[in-house]
Amino acid sequence: MYERIEELVQDAEKSGKAISELVIEHEVQTSGMSREDVWNKMKHNLETMRAAVERGEKGVKSMTGLTGGQAVKIKAYREQGHTLSGDIMMQAVQNAVATNEVNAAMGVICATPTAGSSGTLPGVLFMLEKRLKMNEEQMVRFLFTAGGFGMIIANNAGIAGASGGCQAEVGSASGMGAAAAVEAAGGSPRQSATAMAFAISNLLGLVCDPIAGLVEVPCVNRNAVGSANALVAADMALAGCTSIIPPDEVISAMDKVGRNLPRELRETGLGGLAGTPTGQAIRMKIFGKEMD
Amino acid sequence: MAGNYRSVFDIIGPIMIGPSSSHTAGAVAIGKAGRTIFNGQPKRVVVHYYESFAQTHQGHGTDYAIAAGIMNFPADDDRVPIARQLAKEAGIDIRFVEEAGPSPIGHPNTAVLNLSDGQQQVEVAACSVGGGVIEVRQIKLYDLTIKPTGPLPIILYPVKTTDERREIKGLQLTEFLRMHAPFKQNVVVENQAWRIFEFDLINYLHAGTKKHLLGNYPGIICI
Repeated sequence: MYERIEELVQDAEKSGKAISELVIEHEVQTSGMSREDVWNKMKHNLETMRAAVERGEKGVKSMTGLTGGQAVKIKAYREQGHTLSGDIMMQAVQNAVATNEVNAAMGVICATPTAGSSGTLPGVLFMLEKRLKMNEEQMVRFLFTAGGFGMIIANNAGIAGASGGCQAEVGSASGMGAAAAVEAAGGSPRQSATAMAFAISNLLGLVCDPIAGLVEVPCVNRNAVGSANALVAADMALAGCTSIIPPDEVISAMDKVGRNLPRELRETGLGGLAGTPTGQAIRMKIFGKEMD
Repeated sequence: MAGNYRSVFDIIGPIMIGPSSSHTAGAVAIGKAGRTIFNGQPKRVVVHYYESFAQTHQGHGTDYAIAAGIMNFPADDDRVPIARQLAKEAGIDIRFVEEAGPSPIGHPNTAVLNLSDGQQQVEVAACSVGGGVIEVRQIKLYDLTIKPTGPLPIILYPVKTTDERREIKGLQLTEFLRMHAPFKQNVVVENQAWRIFEFDLINYLHAGTKKHLLGNYPGIICI
C-alpha cells in the first residue's frame, strides 16, 4: 500500500506505468480478485455514477424539499449559451449538482470518497468524457487514479466531515478529481500530484455545516465548486505551475486543520450556515427541536 | 497513518442509498458488524449514539441504516430506507438513545450497540470513519472485553475452556492466518467459560480464505 504521494509518483516515474495501472496492480495483489473482476467492479461504479447524473438532470426532489431541481435549471441555462464561465465548466457543475441532488433524495450513488462529496468526481469525469472524447477504458482508469490518490489522502488525513470538516470530503474529492484529470489529459504523474496539491490547498479550512444535519445545504453547491476547483487545479498543473508545498505536506496540513476545527464546524449541524437563524428555523420546522 | 482504507473500492465506492456515507453506509456496516458478532438475529437492540451521530442521526437516516445492517441488507438495497419497519415485522425491537457525553471510544461518529435475545448479550462499540468505512474498537462477548485496534477485518474465535483442544485450535488458526491472511495484532482473552482469540488483519479477507475459515473453525466470527 502506498503511504505517501511521493512514493506513488516515484514508482510511476521509475516503472513508466500510469498511476491508474499501479493502483489496479495493487488492488489485484491485495484483494485476491482477478484483474478482470477488479476492472469490472470499477466499471460497475462508473455505470452507477452515470445513472445518478442522468437521473439528477431529469429532476429530483429531496424529502424535505430543501434541494432538487437545480441541475435542471443549470441545463436550461446552458442551452441559452450565455454562461460566464463557459459551457464546459457549467457542464461539470451540472453533473456534480445532479449527483448530489440524487444523493439528497436518497437515490443510489457511488460514494467518491463519501456520499456528501459524491458529485465532485462525476462532475469532472462526465465533462471530460465529452471534452477529451474519453472511451470507457479511459474513464475506468480515471477512477482508479482518483481512488489511488484518495487512499493516500484518506489514510493520512481522513475523509469524514465529522472529523475533518468539508475540506476532508469535497476537498479530498476535488484533489482526487484534479489528479485524475491530469492523467486523462496526458499529463505526468508528478503533474497529477501537483494538481491534487493545488485543489486541496484551495479548499483548506472548508467547514462542514449542514443545515439540520442533512446532506443537502450547502453540500450540493459545494460539490459544484469541488468540480470547478479540480478543473482549475488540473489546468494549472498541466500549464507547468508547481506547488511550493509538496503534496504530502498539503495532506498533512489538511489533517491538522481538521483537528483544529471546533466541533460546531464538523458535521454537528450547530455552526456555520447551520447555525444561522434561517438554518436553525429550518431545523425546527423539520425535526421540531433546536440544537443544544 | 491509520491505514483504514486498504482497497481502492473503499474510496471509489460503496454504491449506496444516500444521503451520507459515514452516517448511512457506515451505519449499515456498523449494524452488520453487530449482527455478525452476535452470530445470528437478535430480539432486542439498543443503539447508543454519541457526538455527531447523536446530533444528526435523524437527518442522515442513521436509524434505518443501522436497522438495515442488523437485517443484513447491503448498503445499496432498496429496502434500506424502510429497514426499521421491516425489522419490527421480523420481530426485532430496535431502540435509539442519544447520549449527551463524549464517545467512549474517542470518535465523533460513534454508535454502541447492545444486542440480546434473552440468552446471549453482546456489546459492540464502533465508529464510522468516513466513506462507509468503520472501525470496531470495543467488543463485549461472553462477558469478555476485547479492544481491537479498530480497522476491519477483525477475526474472533471463541472456544469453550472445557474444550481440551482449545490450545491446538488457537495455534492452528494462528498459523493458518500467518500464511494466508497476515495480521498486525493478535490477543487472547479468557474467563472461566470462554477463551477468545482475536486477530486484526492487514488486508481484506480473500473470498476463498473466508470460506475456509468458516468451514474449518466452527463459531469463528469474521467481521
